[in-house]
Amino acid sequence: MTRKMIKDHPILNFEHEKKKVVKFTFDGREMEGFEGEPIAAALHSNGVQVYRITPKHERTRGFFCAIGKCSSCFMIVDGVPNVRTCVTALEAGMKVETQTGMGILKPEK
Amino acid sequence: MDSKKVDVAVIGGGVHGCSTAYHLAQKGFRTALFERDYISSGSSGRSAAGLRYQFGTEVNILLAQYNMKCLKTLGEDLNYPGDLEYDPAGYLWIAYSETQLEQLEKNVRLQNELGTTGSRVLNVREIQEVAPFLNTDGMLGASFNQEDGHINPHTLCFAYADAAKALGVEIHKKTSVTGIITKNGRVAGIHTDKGDWEADAVVCCAGAWSVEVGRWLDLEIPITPERHQIMITEPVERMKHPMTLCLDDGSYWKQCPNGTFMLGVGKEEVKDTSYYASWDYLDSATERILPKMPILSGIRVVRQWTGPYANTPDFQAIVGPTPAEGFYIDCGWSGHGLQFAPSVGRIMAEFVNGEKPFIDVSMFRYSRFEEGELFFEPACI
Amino acid sequence: MKTTEILVVGGGPAGLSAAIEAASLGCDVVLMDSDLKLGGQLIKQTHKFFGSREEFAGTRGFEIGNLLFDEVEKYKKEGKLEIFSNTTVTGYYKEDGIVSYTIGEETYDLIKPQRIVMATGAQEKRIAFPNNDLPGVYGAGAVQTLMNVYGVAPGEKVLMIGAGNIGLIVSYQLMQAGVKVAGIVEAMPRIGGYWVHAAKIRRLGVPIYLQHTITEALGDKVIEGAVIQEIDNTFKLVGEPMKIDCDTICMAIGLTPTCELLWSAGCEMKFVPQLCGYVARRDAMMRTSHPDIWVAGDAAGIEEASAAMVEGRIAGLAAAASLKPEGCQMLKEKSTDYLKRLENLRAGETGAKIRCGLEQVCCECWG
Repeated sequence: MTRKMIKDHPILNFEHEKKKVVKFTFDGREMEGFEGEPIAAALHSNGVQVYRITPKHERTRGFFCAIGKCSSCFMIVDGVPNVRTCVTALEAGMKVETQTGMGILKPEK
Repeated sequence: MDSKKVDVAVIGGGVHGCSTAYHLAQKGFRTALFERDYISSGSSGRSAAGLRYQFGTEVNILLAQYNMKCLKTLGEDLNYPGDLEYDPAGYLWIAYSETQLEQLEKNVRLQNELGTTGSRVLNVREIQEVAPFLNTDGMLGASFNQEDGHINPHTLCFAYADAAKALGVEIHKKTSVTGIITKNGRVAGIHTDKGDWEADAVVCCAGAWSVEVGRWLDLEIPITPERHQIMITEPVERMKHPMTLCLDDGSYWKQCPNGTFMLGVGKEEVKDTSYYASWDYLDSATERILPKMPILSGIRVVRQWTGPYANTPDFQAIVGPTPAEGFYIDCGWSGHGLQFAPSVGRIMAEFVNGEKPFIDVSMFRYSRFEEGELFFEPACI
Repeated sequence: MKTTEILVVGGGPAGLSAAIEAASLGCDVVLMDSDLKLGGQLIKQTHKFFGSREEFAGTRGFEIGNLLFDEVEKYKKEGKLEIFSNTTVTGYYKEDGIVSYTIGEETYDLIKPQRIVMATGAQEKRIAFPNNDLPGVYGAGAVQTLMNVYGVAPGEKVLMIGAGNIGLIVSYQLMQAGVKVAGIVEAMPRIGGYWVHAAKIRRLGVPIYLQHTITEALGDKVIEGAVIQEIDNTFKLVGEPMKIDCDTICMAIGLTPTCELLWSAGCEMKFVPQLCGYVARRDAMMRTSHPDIWVAGDAAGIEEASAAMVEGRIAGLAAAASLKPEGCQMLKEKSTDYLKRLENLRAGETGAKIRCGLEQVCCECWG
């Protein structure tokens, strides 16, 4: 699936073609994004809107404040739960997963 | 609006003040409660809110039995629509030395003798069974009671305050008591920043701030406030883990029903009622706790706060009448007071009503300090 | 432990301006910002600023941001300014003035600054309606970040809640980005934002529903529509519910100052509706009741970026001058000009609300 990016803009030139494209996975599916953009932005442009399922009422949650304050976009990134994906930069090979509930602590190896 | 005349004025909107007001109203006293800030804003709401049968003196064990029985069904009994988050996840006291273990054994023996059935002594293997994520290095044994646990300290206060209000108690929030009125050598009311109230009796439930209240009547209440700090983490899915207290360094931690871990550690602290936290607390707590509970290594601390203990010379409460006629005190709980609100709220109402308390609390009397009759509670931190 | 003369918390228009001024007086400055990119709201703003030449009239927000970045770059090269991005200041410890921060999700550390400028900005308000938590309900700032900073469209058809300046401007920006705007809903009987913005929107055929409110968002897992309804002067629902076809609901309800650190520091705070929330009391040089702490920008009261930049300049300069006696003359000279500029920005009918708010929190000096 190709990303939905804004290309023709009367004022802004995003220079998407100059950015470094990296591959990452979302719930096991391979996707592409730009290195350094927020994980949440990369997901949104790939058509993913649901980032987590709340613990108590099992509500879907996604992007909301974009400034790392509201907890709406928490996801599991490389095994770590409760990562604020709106202010965490995308890196090549990241394993991004929908967070269901509160995240589980794993014993240190 | 308000009558400005009541039978009893209660100072302090913490859990003891709210419970006392509720019990007074049940006995038919016209009661007004005065709180400088909001209900649960002081030490109650800032408490770690542990609940336990496990004490080491007879009076505390008997009171605890009553407390624990009440707390189990308190929400329903008070018709509180919210959630008290009562959570019997167990409470583990861990000994790292022979002396500590002997004391724990003694405590459990006394608890069992007085009818507390759930308390027992665990060996290291048994500790691992009840708390599988603990690193038991250096542990010699523990005392444990599966029915001990946790409650939400805010909703606990609100439940009592709402129940008191439903019985007609006036709750005056954002109202500072500034003095006590006396007439003919006995208490006759209080001054506040919103006017005076006439009252035949005054009950002081002002925790670490009681010292100032006592001075208005020339009473020296021997309380030393001491700052205590707590941290809380992000929520994670519930794990099998009881409230854990380590006697080697006073570190403790537990997982609350909402998944957050509450962490604390015993540490030399400033002796005042300030609410300012210190930056080195995170290091102190993680240094001590992470080796004992390695699974918490990656968890994020999201908040830190403080609340003062009201420490007395023997770390036991001061409860009952005072030399000032009509002035009663219920304070000095030295860090374990929240859970005593059910029993002692009732006892304060009994005192004011001239009854004999349903459990003998004479060892908590105000005069014990000048009589030299201190009695230490071995099970407190 | 790391130390610095001046710590600026927040790298938006106010924080950047404060850092530049403080560095210009020769202070060592550390600036921390929680976002991945510096610039705060400036880098999302594609509209041209109003006002005079000093306030960059006719220049677009993100271009003003670039001008500030050039100045920042200069002081970075001189070694006077150190920038920490993606760094959240998490605590101020009043006993010894130590500040804690986290970089990204993993690194935690402490810094001891001599002076602090709090330029922490603002956060979005929300309103209550069923399903307001579904993905597709986004804050206006978030929508701007997605589309103007990262070039990602928030959706295909957006319903805007709020016809203040932000609601109007973001609606226009959405259309520039090729996104349809289904309508703008405003509870008040008139448009709150500038008339020129509203006129542009209307010309493009976007309906503005005055005296309407959103009563429900529709959708199971994500937004699939919205229901709006007319309200009367007492905000009671009247008329018939109307279904709006949209996949995104943008909330431009307003902002409230981000002031947690000011509370932690024990600064005297006051609730001022005209400034949109709790704000710190301050003197004309933006110093709070805490002698080591200054405040600037939206954190000091919600206003436009032009005012935030001037406030930042004053705060940065004053904080620096308190450490460099030789800077006092500079402060005197420059602040007269800065204060005059603020006065101009807040003049007239549009500034009345701000002026009324400031009267409640400004004091002559702390003495």
